Amino acid sequence: MAELLVPAIAAVFVAALLAPALHRGLGDRSGILLGLVPLAACAAFLTLAPGVEAGQAVRVALPWAPSLGITLSFYVDGLSLLFLIVVSAIGTFIVWYAAGYLHGDPGLGKFYLYLLSFMGAMLGLVAADNLILLFIFWELTSITSYLLIGYYHNAAKSRAAALQALLVTGGGGLAMLAGLILLARIGGSYEISALLALPSGALTGDPLFPMALVLILLGAFTKSAQFPFHFWLPNAMEAPAPVSAFLHSATMVKAGVFLLARLHPLLDSHPWWTGIVAPIGAITMVTGVWLGLGQSDLKKILAYTTLSVLGTLTLLLGIGTSLAIKACLTYLLAHALYKAALFMAAGAVDHETGTRDVGVLSGLRKAMPITAAAALLGALSMAGTPLLLGFVSKEYFYKALLEADGPAYLWETLGVAASMAMFALAVTAGIRPFFGKPSETPKHAHEAPWTMFVGPVLLGISAVAFGILPGWVGDRLIGPASRAVLGDPAFQADLALWHGWNTALFLSIVTVAGGLVVYFVAPRLRAAQPLYSALAAVGPERGYDVALAGLLRFSAYQTRLLQSGYLRNYVLIIGIFTTGLVAWCLFDTPFEIDFARMVPPSVLGVGACLLIIAGAVMACLADSRFTAIVSLGVVGLCIAILFFLFSAPDLAMTQILVEALTVVLFVLAFYKLPLLRELSSGAARIRDAVLALGFGGVMTALVMVGFHFDAPAPRISNFMAEQSYPAAQGRNVVNVILVDFRALDTLGEITVLGIAALGIYAMLRLRSTGKGDS
Amino acid sequence: MKSLILETTMRVLMGLLLVFSIFLLLRGHNLPGGGFGGGLVAGSAFALKALASGTTSARSLLWFDPRTIIGLGLLVALVSGLFGAPYGLPFLTGLWDLTIFPVVGKLGTPLLFDTGVYIVVLGITTLIIFTLADEEDA
Repeated sequence: MAELLVPAIAAVFVAALLAPALHRGLGDRSGILLGLVPLAACAAFLTLAPGVEAGQAVRVALPWAPSLGITLSFYVDGLSLLFLIVVSAIGTFIVWYAAGYLHGDPGLGKFYLYLLSFMGAMLGLVAADNLILLFIFWELTSITSYLLIGYYHNAAKSRAAALQALLVTGGGGLAMLAGLILLARIGGSYEISALLALPSGALTGDPLFPMALVLILLGAFTKSAQFPFHFWLPNAMEAPAPVSAFLHSATMVKAGVFLLARLHPLLDSHPWWTGIVAPIGAITMVTGVWLGLGQSDLKKILAYTTLSVLGTLTLLLGIGTSLAIKACLTYLLAHALYKAALFMAAGAVDHETGTRDVGVLSGLRKAMPITAAAALLGALSMAGTPLLLGFVSKEYFYKALLEADGPAYLWETLGVAASMAMFALAVTAGIRPFFGKPSETPKHAHEAPWTMFVGPVLLGISAVAFGILPGWVGDRLIGPASRAVLGDPAFQADLALWHGWNTALFLSIVTVAGGLVVYFVAPRLRAAQPLYSALAAVGPERGYDVALAGLLRFSAYQTRLLQSGYLRNYVLIIGIFTTGLVAWCLFDTPFEIDFARMVPPSVLGVGACLLIIAGAVMACLADSRFTAIVSLGVVGLCIAILFFLFSAPDLAMTQILVEALTVVLFVLAFYKLPLLRELSSGAARIRDAVLALGFGGVMTALVMVGFHFDAPAPRISNFMAEQSYPAAQGRNVVNVILVDFRALDTLGEITVLGIAALGIYAMLRLRSTGKGDS
Repeated sequence: MKSLILETTMRVLMGLLLVFSIFLLLRGHNLPGGGFGGGLVAGSAFALKALASGTTSARSLLWFDPRTIIGLGLLVALVSGLFGAPYGLPFLTGLWDLTIFPVVGKLGTPLLFDTGVYIVVLGITTLIIFTLADEEDA
């Protein structure tokens, strides 16, 4: 039922807003209740499934900012539906899990606010039809992920990791925005559904297409932690376990993969697609497991294997054959199930024993039997054992690599190597901690509460169920999703457990054998930390550190340069730039002075002008502050006379009032000001004089040009003068403009005035208490 | 810094200046004047009062803290813009009652907006001047 789509997504956001209040009222039990919201959303998404399976995509559009081409439009086809179901189902377990994991934490309400906001953003992201809407949800996931990674904000490491993730994914997001705008310009629409309806390869011929492609890939690669942007993901493990399980395995990091899959039909006919996407994916796949083998922290191992899987998915999308797409989506589903289960189990182990070191943990199966069973199922799926979904996905992965265009044997070798390491790491992280002799741990281990094992257990069971009945899940989820990614409505997934005695099966057997070898070699790699440190010293994270430090140094430098704190320097800089820029614009504007059109000079006007000049000169030459102020007062009053002469009584009146208030201010400040001193050297005075004369000259020239400029359209001032009484009931045009025609500007101005006054107040107060004098 | 002459003069001048400031505010829509000028005149009145009899008595005469006055003025200006909302009109649309009232003339939301400007300007001038003058006393 299509009408449930938007309310289901909105409900998650509403739940996020209610979470803090609910937690204050109900305590930790609020988590159980809040978990029902994503569960209901999941049920709502499931009602869309029959229609989507039959090939009828759901599209809902609400107007938002039509003048900008932004609509609140959603489009759910097989691909979106797969993600919607995975995100909301795993999200339900995560919400429950957090209730146990963060039990008694006073910040839990806030945590749910972030977590559910993230979930809503993720659901919106995968269901968005409008490209700008997609971008907004995309950035919202980055921001909420920042808050979630930095949840333990008292720890400096946690804050640094959060900032790193935000800068890397946010920066990539901006590149992606540029890419999406280019794509929309080339394709003539911001709606993904409209772009997908274009004939295949319709966009690739455009000269701007390569740029759009590269920018979009930057966004996807940073989000999905592809090499060389992979470093933020393992660092993000500073987050609480529910966050790692949700964002950094099953959902957010898959957003990049989702984007690549979503836009696959539009982008893949360009040669750069395979040329860039497949190698980057392969490098990430291998880098991930290589780095993972050197880790002894349970969560870090899982993070690096996630990295490797993201590489695998990217590689498969880069290859882009129908077999590869099917393998990619199966692998994605299998990974979401087992990795969320394993992360939750790892968090439970950490929570109950106080350590995550795989060198210490063993024999926990007696103390934590249920968690151990769930972790075992997850690890078996990750290792690719028959009868689990992980096995099915690995078979298709191998087959897709074998039948790839291009360097199929290279991909196959790398894929098998990565899978061997994956096997070893699955045993290390998911099986070894639970078997063998029970170990001494910082806390006395016991089973986690039900909230923390219900998710892993159910996910583990689904890994088995889907593994035994791959045909069912293939027809319901993988098939429709593949059809969407391929843009081929006739494609059938036909997942099967048994493919006969073929090369892929042979490679699976090789993988298990090789994996066992890697498992026994792995402790040596973990011991070889100097090697890893030496590689990290030249790795891309080093580049991030150097770039960030450089950026901070540069901003400190330019702040020191421009924000000197001396009023005279600011005036100087503003004066130089205004004069220079205006002069540059006027440089080749022809103008002649047409005296006939000017008002004939009056005695009063000329007199006032002469007094202004005299006052200005006096102020410059004065050797007492009092003389200078009085001279400036003469200038101000003569300007008021000029306003009167040119029939602007309002301006004249305001000018006089301001002059009067200036006198009052001067009287108040007079005693406190230091004695007038000669600060400027002779050369500086000449420089200032030149600048002042130049500024005056340029402004005079500007007025002259403006005076002779014949506007092509009727002047706005005429309109306002004519409409002042009939439209706004006022005869004083100046006032009508201020309070009616341009009232919004005035509102902004008085707001700024108020803020400035508060600033002045704060500065005066700080000085008088002696604080802030630095 | 008190002055007997100024203090005596201010007894008369204060009321006159305040009435004049309101006069400026009300005539502003058709003749020179308006909320900005009116607010400046009212601010000057309180500034003179502060000069004549010290900030403590000027503050008590003002009733509200200048910071509160700034906020109040912004609120008035903002609210004046919301009157059109029930009719689906854009923010800050001017609405008028065309009856001619004695003294005030026609009433409309732009006048309310201008009153907001008046209050903000009064708050700003008194905030700055009182703070400067406080420091003087200290």
